[in-house]
Amino acid sequence: MVIQKMEQNESMVKRGWWLILLLAGAIIAPHVISDFYLVILIEALIMSLFALSFNLLFGYMGQLSFGQAAFYGLGGYTVAMLITKVNFNFWLSLLAGVGVAGFVGLIVGFFCVRLRGIYFAVLTLAFGQLLFVIIYKWHDFTGGDDGIQGVFPPGILKIPIVYYYFVLLVFIASAFILWRIVNSPFGHTLKAMRENPERTEFLGIHIARYQLITFVIAAAFAGLAGALWVPFYRSVAPFYLMWIKSGEPVMAAILGGASTFFGPVLGMFIMTFIHAYILGFTHFWPIIMGTIILIIIFALPGGILEFAKVKLKERQERMKSAKGSP
Amino acid sequence: MFLQTQGITKEFGKLRAVNQVSLDIRKGDIHAIIGPNGAGKSTYFNLITGYHQATSGKVLFKGEEITHLPAYRRCKHGITRSFQITSIFPKFTVYESVLMGLLSHRGVTLSFFSASKKFFKEEVYRILEDVGLADQADTLGDSISHGDKKRLELGITLGTEPELLLLDEPTCGMSPEETESTMIFIRKLVEEKGLTILFTEHDMSVVFGIAKRISVLHQGTLIADGKPDEVRANDEVQKIYLGGTA
Amino acid sequence: MSFDILFNQFMSGIARASLLFLVASGLSLTFGVLRVLNFAHGSLYMLGAFVTYSIWKGLLIPVVGFYIATFLAALVMGGIGIIIEFFLLRRLYARGWPEQLLVTYALVLIITDLVKLGWGGEFLSIPRPVPFKGAVSLFGFPFPSYNFFVILLGLALVIFLWWLVYRTRIGDIIRAAAHDREMVAALGIPIPWLFTWIFVLGAMIAGLSGGVAGPYGAIALGMDIEIIVECFAVVVIGGMGSLPGTLLGSFIVGQVYAFGIMFKPELALAFIFMVMAAVLIIRPWGIFGRPER
Repeated sequence: MVIQKMEQNESMVKRGWWLILLLAGAIIAPHVISDFYLVILIEALIMSLFALSFNLLFGYMGQLSFGQAAFYGLGGYTVAMLITKVNFNFWLSLLAGVGVAGFVGLIVGFFCVRLRGIYFAVLTLAFGQLLFVIIYKWHDFTGGDDGIQGVFPPGILKIPIVYYYFVLLVFIASAFILWRIVNSPFGHTLKAMRENPERTEFLGIHIARYQLITFVIAAAFAGLAGALWVPFYRSVAPFYLMWIKSGEPVMAAILGGASTFFGPVLGMFIMTFIHAYILGFTHFWPIIMGTIILIIIFALPGGILEFAKVKLKERQERMKSAKGSP
Repeated sequence: MFLQTQGITKEFGKLRAVNQVSLDIRKGDIHAIIGPNGAGKSTYFNLITGYHQATSGKVLFKGEEITHLPAYRRCKHGITRSFQITSIFPKFTVYESVLMGLLSHRGVTLSFFSASKKFFKEEVYRILEDVGLADQADTLGDSISHGDKKRLELGITLGTEPELLLLDEPTCGMSPEETESTMIFIRKLVEEKGLTILFTEHDMSVVFGIAKRISVLHQGTLIADGKPDEVRANDEVQKIYLGGTA
Repeated sequence: MSFDILFNQFMSGIARASLLFLVASGLSLTFGVLRVLNFAHGSLYMLGAFVTYSIWKGLLIPVVGFYIATFLAALVMGGIGIIIEFFLLRRLYARGWPEQLLVTYALVLIITDLVKLGWGGEFLSIPRPVPFKGAVSLFGFPFPSYNFFVILLGLALVIFLWWLVYRTRIGDIIRAAAHDREMVAALGIPIPWLFTWIFVLGAMIAGLSGGVAGPYGAIALGMDIEIIVECFAVVVIGGMGSLPGTLLGSFIVGQVYAFGIMFKPELALAFIFMVMAAVLIIRPWGIFGRPER
């Protein structure tokens, strides 16, 4: 018991060091990389937040959403329209983006949580496409396929490096909140529903209600990600809501590892940087992504982080048994 | 009256699986529902757990009607069940599995920011001691033995601190030793914690070993109900189990 | 609004429903038996259209060239179906459905780019073949006679699938497999073999419908997703894996689209999803679907 405690503390200390190192790296990074890669870094951070929101549903609740981009796009559109059309306060616009995404998440989620598994995936895809079509076709209100340009953040946030630190702060705060949620009694219930919905229901849990709450939280954080990206990119377009955008967090999660908290973040960083690099000489990005998915599924099931965790555990076990035997 | 069914009936299409069953289950009893295959005992069982909804008739629990309550609400009233095919959380540790029942029963599952690890440590360990799994607290649910899984499921249900525990074939697939220890454990639960137990079982040695009351279903109808000796002596029961009319 | 306009709209809805049924039936059949939702079904449809175009262009045979090309494209898609089932899906039946869905999603991405590589990004079109070149007058409105061909083909496929599913030994297995897979395996029917051929049949139907879609609309990148999303609506409304459900779902979606366009063209697709939502409130598993426990 005591030894176990010590080992636990040791691994916590180790994890703490990792986080501090990463944080230090994140703070120094913009001063050592080029302007081009600073933009990519900001994109990677924002998309990572998007991927975390998705993985709350996929990795923790056990349901695959193929329409998560709808909420990302809604967050972005809300900010863009409030800022360009009524000259609304930037900070309140961000909040409104989160609110609108969460509210639409409540409506869409109401239908989707009635279904599970593949049916859930299809339904989220269909609703995502519905929202996409509405924004795409409603030219008078949303600008249709032209999107909305000239969305500027206020004051010094126009400077990329300042915006970077702002995004970093929001990302850390959001990741912390999500981390607390998945490790709370509520998160425990989510995981139980993923493991065995029937058993959980017969322990007194109203499954649909918990799934709906999770759906709304995930939609709100996806909305936050979209709301952060649009003022930085200065514009928004309908394809932000499209199925192909919804596929990105799915891929990030399986690439990095959906069963770990930071797996989707790792996956999204890898994808965003490969994407930026590859676009330099080819625009055939989908075929590369498709191939990566096939490789991961057939060669690295569980994703990179899960693979690393298993390897690390094997090594520890080997070392333990080596120490144990005289 | 603790648990009462009044003329409860369940039809699946044209098939009447449970027919007008009226039965009282008294507090503190170990009550067995038996009957040949297809007698309707698991359907009857599931009408009480909320897995199925009754076509007609009533289910009353402590005087309150629960006939049409969904399963999760019945659990909140103090009715918890186990499953015939062991139903656990494969990727949860034994500790985490038992914790789930407690979190649900104590009504903290809507707490979002506190660490679930900090909740109910003592209670979880007490239950683990009770079911004899304390030394495997950190083992994953799907890597313990079959008998231990059955005990784990019992532990999970105890987490909800039920008043009425419904056990669906509690010794199904167990070795004779495991069966024996489960029987002792069930008896202990009733004596020490004042639980009421309703169970289905096809192993007659278990049924007559621990049940204080036995009800016999045949083709969906209740044909006998009473103390083990009375049921054993009942002509109709004799006919069904020994007479070869089936 | 007069009757003749409504009737004309109804008929174009039927034509659209027929095309939808052609595509969705293959999707539904595959799902019913393999329990794999083939995201790439729309991609096979798109590939079928492009392949038909190239064969038609290469053959240069008047009158029957298009029909031959469509038939050959269906065969080619069948061949690709064998490859997909044999090398990819077969290894995943033991794993969960998310992996299966993701593999077919990867195929969507790969096929999109392959089409872009092979045919470039521009719109292609095949003129309507003889004898369906012109239009007939329906109560004074011109109605493309090619639509009748699409409707007839849809009907033929309904009859063929009905015969296959309800009147043959294979059909018994298909229905049993949709119901209880272990049971069929226990009866000694070689499931892998059945799975391959069902998947190939689905792929061939996709290729055939792609070919047929050529003269109906334009052949272009993006037609894969457009059709698959509508097909998802069809199977969600009708019930996944059910033949009558797919038929009814296609009819509903086709009609809602046809009348939606008349009412407010921009929102025609939105109306479909609203109907879908309405159906789901009443029957979450679709009209002919079975809840799974």
